[in-house]
Amino acid sequence: MSLSLRDRHLWIVLAAGAGLGVLGALLSVWGNPQNSGICVSCFIENTSGALGLHDNERMQYLRPELIGFVLGSILCASLFREFRSRGGSAPLVRLVSGVFLIVGSAVFIGCPIKLFLRLTAGDISSLAGLLGLIAGVWVGLQGLARGVDLGRAEDERGATGLLVPAGFVLLLIFLLARPSFLLFSDRGSAAQHAPLFMSLAVGLLLGVLAQRSRFCITGSVRDGLLMGTRSPLLWGFFAFLIGAFVTNIIMGRFTFGLYGQPGAHLEYLWSFLGMLLVGWLSVLIGGCPFRQLIKAGEGDADAGLAVVGMLLGGGLVQSWGVAATAAGVATSGKISVLVGLAFVLLISLLFRDRTA
Amino acid sequence: MLRDRFDQLMIVALVGVLIFTAVLMAGAGPRDDNHDAQAANRRFEREMLHQARVAFIERHYSPVITLRDNGSLPDALLKLEELSRTLPGEAHNDLLSGDILLRMGQFDRAISKLAKAVKSNADYVDSVSPLSQRPLIESAVSEGLPLIRDRLRVQPDNLTLAKVLKDGYYLQSRLAGGCE
Repeated sequence: MSLSLRDRHLWIVLAAGAGLGVLGALLSVWGNPQNSGICVSCFIENTSGALGLHDNERMQYLRPELIGFVLGSILCASLFREFRSRGGSAPLVRLVSGVFLIVGSAVFIGCPIKLFLRLTAGDISSLAGLLGLIAGVWVGLQGLARGVDLGRAEDERGATGLLVPAGFVLLLIFLLARPSFLLFSDRGSAAQHAPLFMSLAVGLLLGVLAQRSRFCITGSVRDGLLMGTRSPLLWGFFAFLIGAFVTNIIMGRFTFGLYGQPGAHLEYLWSFLGMLLVGWLSVLIGGCPFRQLIKAGEGDADAGLAVVGMLLGGGLVQSWGVAATAAGVATSGKISVLVGLAFVLLISLLFRDRTA
Repeated sequence: MLRDRFDQLMIVALVGVLIFTAVLMAGAGPRDDNHDAQAANRRFEREMLHQARVAFIERHYSPVITLRDNGSLPDALLKLEELSRTLPGEAHNDLLSGDILLRMGQFDRAISKLAKAVKSNADYVDSVSPLSQRPLIESAVSEGLPLIRDRLRVQPDNLTLAKVLKDGYYLQSRLAGGCE
């Protein structure tokens, strides 16, 4: 099957990819940290901090973009009658996978979206992460081809798929009402943010586009490896790269080089392994951290559990000193990535259907 | 739903709980909410701690700053050495050492000291912090890094210098911003 320019879905994917790239780069201009206009793992760590799950005073802010992603997704899914409560596919494994998605991202310093935002801003130290992500997706695909499968999600009674979106509605109320138990940094990277309603609007728009298009970074890499240029997601991914690159150039945010890049370290092996873990897990659980948020908004309770795991992981990586900094990766971070790789290896052994 | 008495009871109880919650939320104004007072206290304590730290640093390190400003750089370093025994691990000691060494033209030692200070306290590269020392760190990086790179080209096996270069890149990265 070849791609057709008359295919409406292709254009939606292109719009989602370009939107994510352009707005991801612009959010940095509007106030988010440099090269972190959109970084789901950093935002999750900020949100965990705001909710009191860790005490790093420089990493506490309830990021409106995350709320926008989930609520945009549920609005769009409801409008197009695609909201469906489903779940029951190895829920605890997905919860723990959510924790390790954040561990891998925190050791690299960024989720797959940020990886490419860093790259399109000229940070070539992120190439190690790129290789790791591609390797992780490739290994994950090898596992799927050999019968590794967490099982099918079933339709669930009781509208369980509404629970996580309801949680994000609550977070929106918190964000607007600012109850006293929420914590907000007044310095550090969490104190850098675009205006609240701008962030929320961008999040909602991207949530809608991502829900309609099913766009996801690791999904694009996966489809690119499987289908080559026939994959619409791969073209969406190219649109994302071009959008981010052009925006960074126009906004004067492009600094080509290996050293002294914002939010980056030079421990390439651990960047590679961190992203390997993220890519591999993303294939097994059906999407990168961003896609898990979008799927949670569509009623996927399994993805919702991955999101809960991500929030938990956001607290743990900060409290246990797992998250890398520009100074490098702490021993606890290295050990956590290795434990994550052991976890995903075990999953590949235990969830393998050998009858096929 | 609502097929039997159990369903009806559940619905009534749910509505009751929601109304009770709403009433509690409406009644808990910002002035009489104990949590708000706690939050205000927490913010106040955080701010007070921060200001106390700045005052503490100013008080303890003012002799060093005076010596530095008078141009008595070796004496200032000696005073810092003395202070490091009473305040071991204090990041400001490393920061001032870096500052003085930079003035003495010892770029490699200055960069290592500044990197150590920023690793201990990231406020030094935070432009909104009262402790911000961005101009100092920027000048150390812009003046020192090219020199260290040149020296390393001549002495490629010098591991100490390689570590200093890494510290310089660390400072450069922190100055560039990004997530922490």
